[in-house]
Amino acid sequence: LTPVHFSFSSGFILGLIGLTFHRTHLLSALLCLEGIILSLFIALSLWSLQLESTTHATAPILLLAFSACEAGAGLALLVGTTRTHGTDHLQNLNLLQC
Amino acid sequence: MFYFTFLVLVGLVLGLVGVASNPAPYFAALGLVVAAAVGCGILVGHGGSFLSLILFLIYLGGMLVVFAYSAALAAEPYPETWGDWSVLFYVVVYVVGVLIVGTLVSNDWYSCSWVVVDEFKDLSLLRGDFSGVAFMYSLGGFMLMVSGWVLLLTLFVVLELTRGLSRGALRAV
Repeated sequence: LTPVHFSFSSGFILGLIGLTFHRTHLLSALLCLEGIILSLFIALSLWSLQLESTTHATAPILLLAFSACEAGAGLALLVGTTRTHGTDHLQNLNLLQC
Repeated sequence: MFYFTFLVLVGLVLGLVGVASNPAPYFAALGLVVAAAVGCGILVGHGGSFLSLILFLIYLGGMLVVFAYSAALAAEPYPETWGDWSVLFYVVVYVVGVLIVGTLVSNDWYSCSWVVVDEFKDLSLLRGDFSGVAFMYSLGGFMLMVSGWVLLLTLFVVLELTRGLSRGALRAV
């Protein structure tokens, strides 16, 4: 495990742990998702750059396109939550609680 | 070169620690900006200057700006920065965790695992990552169409989610 691979792998796992233990805001969970996607972009780009295969360079661009879709959907959910509940606090999302 | 790579990798991990420790979203967006900027540094150090520019423009300049504007939805009078005890606890736990795992895997690291061979070892007019992305228009045309279709669908998803009132996906209960 080279230093560069260790750093983006630990970045991915840190983002995943931050998404798991999100505390008050929905937006901070969405930002942890963006951190995961950033580490995945760096990983795919380094795959193309370190193995010197040019055809793999399209993968990070397509990842960016799909992650833009996902960020847009997540932010629309955030806007809907704020319209309904006033804030984006996760403790307000308790309709399914018994 | 070793020092630049070391700084940039430490910056990436610390930036993502700052995001994962869940401070107020203002500060988490700042940590993500720092992490994306040094991520561009990693790609530049490996010779991928076009992919680094794409990351800067599209990711930082497009998506993160939208997240920064959306941080106004999470406004609170006393935002938790990285100095507050609840966030600082998570920061310390994550940094210690990364250091412990780092000492476990760093036995095989030697002086040359930090530097990269430059890509100009044979004479070439085209950059590798730049002409690789151009494949998306020739061989990868199908994926280009699929991505465009998915982006159009996402537009309609977002319009449907934020319609609200009486017939949208989220209603005021």
